[in-house]
Amino acid sequence: MARIEIESDVTGTVWKIEVEEGTKVTEGQTLIILESMKMEIPVLASDDGTVAEIMVEEEEAVAEGQAVIVIDA
Amino acid sequence: MAFDELYDEYEERQAKALSMGGPDRLARRKNTGILNARERINYLVDENTWTESGLFTLSHLPEDRESTPGDGKITGYGAIDGRETVIVSNDFTVKGASSSVINMKRISQMRRTALERGIPMVFLGESSGARIPDNMGAYNMGAILGNDGSQYQRTREQPWASAILGMAYGSATWYGCLSDFNVMRKGAIMAVSSERLVSMAIGEQVAGEDLGGWRMHTDTTGLVDFAVDTDEEALDAIKTFLSYLPENHTQLPPEKPVPSGSDEIARTVLDILPEKRTQVYDVRRIIERVADKNSMFELKARFGKTATTALARLDGKTVGFIANNPMFKAGALDAEGCDKCCSFMVLCDSFNIPVIFLVDNPGFVIGIDAERQKAPGKIMNFMNALQLMTTPKLTVMIRKNYGQAYINMGGGKNAAEVAAWPTAEVSFMDPAYAVNVVHGKPGVRLEDSDPDLFKEKFEKFQLENSVYDIAASYGVQHVIKAEDTRDWLIRMLKVHRNRLSGGLGKHLLSNWPTTF
Repeated sequence: MARIEIESDVTGTVWKIEVEEGTKVTEGQTLIILESMKMEIPVLASDDGTVAEIMVEEEEAVAEGQAVIVIDA
Repeated sequence: MAFDELYDEYEERQAKALSMGGPDRLARRKNTGILNARERINYLVDENTWTESGLFTLSHLPEDRESTPGDGKITGYGAIDGRETVIVSNDFTVKGASSSVINMKRISQMRRTALERGIPMVFLGESSGARIPDNMGAYNMGAILGNDGSQYQRTREQPWASAILGMAYGSATWYGCLSDFNVMRKGAIMAVSSERLVSMAIGEQVAGEDLGGWRMHTDTTGLVDFAVDTDEEALDAIKTFLSYLPENHTQLPPEKPVPSGSDEIARTVLDILPEKRTQVYDVRRIIERVADKNSMFELKARFGKTATTALARLDGKTVGFIANNPMFKAGALDAEGCDKCCSFMVLCDSFNIPVIFLVDNPGFVIGIDAERQKAPGKIMNFMNALQLMTTPKLTVMIRKNYGQAYINMGGGKNAAEVAAWPTAEVSFMDPAYAVNVVHGKPGVRLEDSDPDLFKEKFEKFQLENSVYDIAASYGVQHVIKAEDTRDWLIRMLKVHRNRLSGGLGKHLLSNWPTTF
């Protein structure tokens, strides 16, 4: 079991959080939607696994490379 | 009988050669579910086509003769899907498949045959590096290493495919990095030297996964095209990769039957595009629908994700897709995306594969990080590769297309023919930024300081970005409906076939770097 921190690949604002801690997710699934560059940019699961920790809240600003969610895979 | 004794010896020596590192090592390996070097070959090649070259080789050191059947690297010829292939399969059970005087001669013979006869090469990698103590000391360095002045030449006259299937240091890593395609089994390690040696050298315990595991190589370095769970899946991936490629650069890629239903799926391509221009989509779902059904084979999916590079077929013929993927950073091209596009163009140019650009990007990623990552150099590498590429290029503009990225993605005269969907918007930069550059002041957004002026100018700037404006100046030659994309591409590939050279390109990129 690996603990995988997923980073935002853009600077922007958290618009919607689509999962909860404990949600089972599959690779490529949208976990969080950010608003950046006037676009809705998804943060995607890098692996199949379970959401272990959500590190941001809606409307919070995030920087490129910032860890926003953790999954156990 | 006169020859019985000789034949008995032949049988005995053959059995010894095939016994590899001995029953204990082979059994241990079997228990972990990992194939051995000969099982891998058997799985890879067509039945009864394997002929080994060098079955009776042994170490050049007399004291190692008994313990080195095959000398750790198994080489020979076998057919894959009916086509001859030259294969090097590392036998880790014999001296950790370390490089030695004799097994380097085996590899050298394979390289020469592949090159001179125009046959694809396959490396099944798992090796511990140069053999010790054979290579120790100045005398042996002089006598053994570096005596083949073309060992690491890669001129891409024939495809090379590699699988990293265990601990790969030295030889297996080098050939993996020189190959056109490199697949890795999860759990394998690819690095310059072993974690044991690294840990000793830096006095700190290093884990193999951190040193060169599949995540690092598929996500961060891009040295591996993709990772799989088993040896069998890795070998299947090699077969699939080779099925898109010709045997060598003087041939066209093989044609395959067009799966039924391909045209019908292509009519549904518009379903993927969101109605709002602020929403993203996964361009791979578009490639899947435009290409022949189930023919998309993506390379480096986890690396440089703002661009998608995939082999596929159109009307049974191999093509390469280079597409912006709005799913990641809105499709804005970054340094890694540029590297990935370059490496893919090198592949396609070397092996006579037409390239199709699907465009939806807001421009290049800009900022301090991008500059530190050598963005200007990467963008120009991309342009240089694009303009040196002599296989047919076609461009389809899907949605956003701004600035220099417009040129990089096959805009203007950088493709043989350019089409745009009615949803395309083209300009030098996003109209909101352009209004600020022309009418705003530094540090103040015109949207805030003078919303009415902003609105008026924005509408004007946006108006001139329409697809019919660029069609009017013949910047695109065709405006097509999304559902007609497949038909248009097939038609244009017929028009733009390189008839004067029998379909072959000039391969000007064939000696470009094997990694970027």
